[in-house]
Amino acid sequence: MPLKVKVGLIGALDMLKFKNMSKVREAAIQAAPAREITADYAVNNNAKALHPDYQRLVLSEIVEHPAAGAKTFVFENADGGPLAYFRAGQYLSLKLKLDGSALSRPYSISSAPKDALAGRYELTVRANPGGFAADRLLEEARVGDAFYASAPQGNFYYEELRDPRSILALAGGSGITPFLSMARAIADGTEDFNLTILFGSRTEEQILFRDELDKLAENEKIRVIHVLSDEEKPGYEHGFITAELVKKYAPEEYSLFICGPDAMYRFLDGELKKLALPRRNVRREMLGVTKNIAAHPDFPVSARGASYSLAVRQGPNETTVPASAEEPILVALERAGLTVPSRCRSGECGWCRTKVISGDFFAPAEHENRRWADRSSGYIHPCVTFPLSDMVLEVPGEYIGP
Amino acid sequence: MSKQYDIVVVGAGNAGLSAALHCAKEGKKVLLIEQHNLPGGCATSFVRGRFEFEPSLHELCDIGTEEDPGEIRQMMEEYGVKVDWKPVPDCFRIISQYTDGSPMDVTMPSGKQPFIDQMEVYVPGSRAKMEEYFELLEETMAGTAYISASNGHADSAVLKSKFPNLLRTGSYPVKKVWDAIRLPGKCQDIMSTYWGYLGVDMTRMAFIHYCNMFMKYVTRAAYIPTHTSHEISNAMAERFRELGGEIWYNCRAEEFLFDGDRLCGVKTTMGVVDCSYALANINPDIIYARMMPKELIPEREKKLSAARNHNYSARMYTVYVGLNKTAEELGIRDYCIFMAGTSDSAKEYRDILGGYDSNNFTIFLCSNVANPEASPPGTAVGFFTSMGNPDEWGNLSQEDYVALKNKYAKKFIRMLKERAGIDIAPYIEEICVASPWTFARYLGTPEGSVYGYETAEWDGMMARMMMLNSDYPIKGLRPIGAAGPRGDGYSSAYVCGQLMARLALKDLREEGGEN
Repeated sequence: MPLKVKVGLIGALDMLKFKNMSKVREAAIQAAPAREITADYAVNNNAKALHPDYQRLVLSEIVEHPAAGAKTFVFENADGGPLAYFRAGQYLSLKLKLDGSALSRPYSISSAPKDALAGRYELTVRANPGGFAADRLLEEARVGDAFYASAPQGNFYYEELRDPRSILALAGGSGITPFLSMARAIADGTEDFNLTILFGSRTEEQILFRDELDKLAENEKIRVIHVLSDEEKPGYEHGFITAELVKKYAPEEYSLFICGPDAMYRFLDGELKKLALPRRNVRREMLGVTKNIAAHPDFPVSARGASYSLAVRQGPNETTVPASAEEPILVALERAGLTVPSRCRSGECGWCRTKVISGDFFAPAEHENRRWADRSSGYIHPCVTFPLSDMVLEVPGEYIGP
Repeated sequence: MSKQYDIVVVGAGNAGLSAALHCAKEGKKVLLIEQHNLPGGCATSFVRGRFEFEPSLHELCDIGTEEDPGEIRQMMEEYGVKVDWKPVPDCFRIISQYTDGSPMDVTMPSGKQPFIDQMEVYVPGSRAKMEEYFELLEETMAGTAYISASNGHADSAVLKSKFPNLLRTGSYPVKKVWDAIRLPGKCQDIMSTYWGYLGVDMTRMAFIHYCNMFMKYVTRAAYIPTHTSHEISNAMAERFRELGGEIWYNCRAEEFLFDGDRLCGVKTTMGVVDCSYALANINPDIIYARMMPKELIPEREKKLSAARNHNYSARMYTVYVGLNKTAEELGIRDYCIFMAGTSDSAKEYRDILGGYDSNNFTIFLCSNVANPEASPPGTAVGFFTSMGNPDEWGNLSQEDYVALKNKYAKKFIRMLKERAGIDIAPYIEEICVASPWTFARYLGTPEGSVYGYETAEWDGMMARMMMLNSDYPIKGLRPIGAAGPRGDGYSSAYVCGQLMARLALKDLREEGGEN
């Protein structure tokens, strides 16, 4: 017997009901008031406040650290009100216009997250041999100058869901900034973990934030050990930060967080092997690309010193820019004055994801963070990719700035 | 006057991608703009450390085998999109409670006969009813396919003669139909599992809608792409490009522009674009409230919006974990474990919307069980899915945000340990929590919802399909996506994009000579 399902008392009425579905729907619609349509959602507003497309900052104060060759720039929200909140350890991509270049630099925020809600961020910038942007900022930035910055970015923060209760921080020079933010956050109750900082400086005089760090270390959750590379003084550790030194101060269970200059990472690579920590317990803040790429073992010798031309499409605009094989593609785009996406400048965040329509390139393995499908279909992260021929690129837009 | 573009597709989510592909394949000049820097919307991926995470896809129904392809595999083939699919073993495991309070821990296989056989094991004596039930499901499926193909003009004589049981059951909620055919309570409890994939409980979801999804998952098995759903989205975007389409990433549509009452362009963050038609992968409330002149919005559209009253479905909450042990070492044998407080879906739905204290619903998925290539050797990757309450996440301060995200994460990680005996906490190498804020941030959808409007009661899928030609009567502009007639889910969105693209091309043909 064929299947005959009845839901209501009389099957025929069910059929009528089916055919009437649109009438029922129309009746429900017609019964509603013809009021103005709104689309204002608290959840979306919260998300926008945490992750704005960009922020307009005004430089409100400059604190000098002459011995360290550094300055702390205090920024306020140019439009008044709070700035985007963040997790201690995150960075801002600060946008700069220098000699017709539109470029960006990632700087870890050194102020406490709470300060952001009061409309304030602090970034500390250190003179950097051959460093174009840092040196110019240090020389030229004045109170009252206006800047664009990204929302806070990055994953270099304590995560209770993953990390043990103790963080051992290895900081070199201005690499102290994310840890200063963490220490401030612990001190004001925003964060709750134990932080031991091994802070490498050249000399006692060059120690950044010395007084404040000493004061923060009065908190029982915070400990600061100064390590001087160029001086031997009582009360200080001497030399580089080694595996042995880490072991000396390490709590029983900890995650190692590292932020410092290139040379420190290179030295620590060997030291970390001795510690044999699982990957889950080691975080590096990578803000920048491998220096002197021509010396990279995988860089083709024939490309040394070569120059190419990049045809760039960005939305409706097309332009051609010169590029050097020894500079990341991103730098060539910025030098031409194009406003292109960039944040971490180390290949990690993927914000500059760009389509290669044609051309060859070198993408060093240590910066490989592309998605599988992107690697397989000619997408690159231009901040860590070097041209090896003339290229045609399709670059995304960038919301920052007018 | 010739326009810069025939069609601008706003939003490269699943529906946007299929719509753009369809129009490009039909030879139109198409621009696809996307506010993010990559395609896919939810169908994307992100990299943390050595892991590439799948953000949203549990499993895709309607792929089918190469020999017997499902609707989506056929669509991808038609458009020339290549994806490396991996089948998902089993339908699901669910650890919950039967409505009579007894504990439930069942694993259902895919395939009609294995499903019925396994049901007989859990619910002895259910076989005859289940076979009868599948007969009804099969007729309903066939009838739905007929209605879908008719673009809103189904012939009621055909429906009556060929699909009488569809007509008799289709408009009722699932629970009513189950009771009417006297399906044993435990069978109902077990088959309620999938409700979360549609975001409406069994007492309010139209049988016809549930039937479609259930049958696709059970009889066609499910598939996932080998390299996250970004593999699908990227393949679609690249194919669109090959067909002559243009894509602007990091470009946001701000306003739809009109010449009189007809759309003539789109104002974007990269400038004004002239076009003959726009397909907007955007929730209609947002289009009407923020993106077009108020005076062009018909009264009925205001009433439609008011009737829906911002009743969005599935404000997503997810936790992504990269683990430094293999699935085997961690004792993970199931691809997908549903953990629920109860199999009474209406209660479960209320409890989820009740917020943290009452929400005991999460789905844990481990990609490696279906796809050994999902993460590097020696590791595993997976994620938890649940849903959020708009007030709990809306009234939350910036300072309390991380704490709430993590509180939920801890609860779900604990549930996995207590219910399934799987302790992942010591092996977390990467972890990332996405809340309704995160989905709102990346997708721009209302309250971070991903299912559009609830497809419940009067506003079910079939009723929407039947009124395809009455909703959204703006000349030259059609919304597409989860808020559309097909409702939520990857497959539905792909089909919706294609359907709306067809209608747009038809509109353009009919207008003829006007442009």
